[in-house]
Amino acid sequence: MATAAGGIAIAALVHIAMMFLHVAPSNTVTKAHGEAVSDYVYPEYEQNWKLFAPNPLQQNISVQVRAEIRPGDGGSARRTGWTDLTALDGRAIHHNLFPSHTQQNELRRAWESFVGSHDAQNRPNGVRGELTERYLRRIAMGRLGAEWTAHGGTVDRMEFRSVTTPVGPPPWSSEKISDKPVYRVLPWWPVTVDDVPEGASNQ
Amino acid sequence: MSTHSTEPQHVSDDRGADAQDYVVQDTWIERAVGRGFARVTAGPMAPYQTAVIRIGFAATWLFFLLREWPHRHELYGPDGVWSLDMARRLLGNNGAFSVLVWSDGRGWFELVYALAMISSALLMLGWRTRTMSVLFMIGVLSLQNRSVFLGDGGDNVIHLMSMYLVLTRCGQVWSLDARRARRTPAAGGDGTPGRDVTGVLLWSVLGLVLALAQLMGLHGLEWTADGPFPHVGWGLALWGLWLAHGAWWWVRRYAPGEPRTVLNTLADLAHNGALLVIMVEVCLIYATAGWYKIQGNRWQDGTAVFYPMHLDYFSPWPELSALLASSGLVVMLVTYGTVIVQVAFPFTVFNRRVKNVLLVAMILEHLSIAVLLGLPFFSLAMVAADAVFLPTNFLRWLGARVAAVRDRLLPGGAARVSSGGVSGGASATASGAVADAASGAAAAAAGDAAGDQGNPAGGPGARTRESGGGHTLVG
Repeated sequence: MATAAGGIAIAALVHIAMMFLHVAPSNTVTKAHGEAVSDYVYPEYEQNWKLFAPNPLQQNISVQVRAEIRPGDGGSARRTGWTDLTALDGRAIHHNLFPSHTQQNELRRAWESFVGSHDAQNRPNGVRGELTERYLRRIAMGRLGAEWTAHGGTVDRMEFRSVTTPVGPPPWSSEKISDKPVYRVLPWWPVTVDDVPEGASNQ
Repeated sequence: MSTHSTEPQHVSDDRGADAQDYVVQDTWIERAVGRGFARVTAGPMAPYQTAVIRIGFAATWLFFLLREWPHRHELYGPDGVWSLDMARRLLGNNGAFSVLVWSDGRGWFELVYALAMISSALLMLGWRTRTMSVLFMIGVLSLQNRSVFLGDGGDNVIHLMSMYLVLTRCGQVWSLDARRARRTPAAGGDGTPGRDVTGVLLWSVLGLVLALAQLMGLHGLEWTADGPFPHVGWGLALWGLWLAHGAWWWVRRYAPGEPRTVLNTLADLAHNGALLVIMVEVCLIYATAGWYKIQGNRWQDGTAVFYPMHLDYFSPWPELSALLASSGLVVMLVTYGTVIVQVAFPFTVFNRRVKNVLLVAMILEHLSIAVLLGLPFFSLAMVAADAVFLPTNFLRWLGARVAAVRDRLLPGGAARVSSGGVSGGASATASGAVADAASGAAAAAAGDAAGDQGNPAGGPGARTRESGGGHTLVG
């Protein structure tokens, strides 16, 4: 029984040490044994508790999209105006006691993972980069596909952009910051059948 | 960890006394180890705390699944926005576990979602707690790992705790299991349980399903890779749990002597180890959240709380946010208060009184976050996590109150309670979950509103180590 107690105590302490090293900043131990810590932690014990730290996000990022619709009769393609997907989310969250993950997390985290898996020229870093591009297209098609094709035609291509607007300093602060929005415009992406999620159509 | 918890009657002093007889010339460290050993083998610690977190996490996940019911296909369905094909490619890389990739069928998805809800409800009620904790974990991992870019900090807490709960004996009180144990007259008068057709049936069916999945070579059931621990695959882990449940039933019925004592003590050891891990995990959450904040200039200049109130995704009640953010002094007090509480909490667990004051502050803060930042499920999960540090006296008092309220509302339930002690029946446990969430509000004052925790930051990256940049609101 003492052996079992010792074994369980060691297992618990090793686990705790791994969790600690995973959430701690890069340090002497993780620089030498980071691989072992990662092997232990991923995939099931991943965690991030830097809640609003070291600083809270101080900008609103709006993800906007527009599309090019090819009419069924072979006429020339027509371009839609920009739709602010984030604003639509915002409207859904407004005065909502129980926002859905579809409204609060889906687009927000899709954009985060896009930014995290692409370089400054919007080129994907490997498989994850390509997957997040497809994820964004499916989100857009799921939300706007029907509207875009309401008057016939199919969605041929779509273009995303983000508009980053800083949150101004509090009124009591003398701080001055630029409130000019920053645009990031992605290339036009062709739309295929793989980009149409359940409940959407591209007809 | 010793500040609260443990039923006094569980802590027998026999072993301690035995040890003292021959440790006259032992060093203090040997005596400490001896005392520690006596304590961790004396019985499962913190029965009320583990019960309340069981109810809390199961209820949070159940409410979440109910809330997302209309959106379930979009979030987790085979042709949702993150399609099953995409999920397979990611899971193939990171080795995370999900039964949803076993089939493309709509029926399979609906079945898994339904089972996730049912197992949450039954775990909350404490019906076949051991089995349900495993099914609950499978449900949580399967849904979350399948659509990894959807979660936030709340999902992350539930993900971890669903695994830890499997190893705790969290159904000793406030559960249907406990009620059944009280009511069933011991067959042999020595604690030997009677026939248990339901249990045997449940166990056999689950074993059959696991065997079938294994034979079909389905994803995620490796023996020595991609599991909960290095060199332990989910196949090995799940079979191990299945065998352990079977062995526990068998020794209780047929070998009530020493084998039963041995298994019982092993289970207590696992429970106490997992409880320690859960408590440290909660401390790690606050320590990380607090210590990284100290380094940020917005937390230093006292304006940090102003900013989340102006983020589109986290201001469902702009009027309320504007009101709170209108006073520089209030914003600074909340900003500093948040950091102080988070940094201090891990050290206060050794002082019962200070810990309880901070606990009330944190629970109130989470309840404000639920409304103010529109993060009800994250907040509920964090309140459930906090609850592991609530004092036993308070929990027993709460249980009695909940039972009393239930009796007033459901006159028919009175008979059940009288036989059920602190709070026996199903409805008591169900309402206990709600009361759990509200407990902070009932408990005391201390207005420390909002601030952070609203981990928009959170949510796992991609369960892969190169998830880089996945968590923005972080920086």
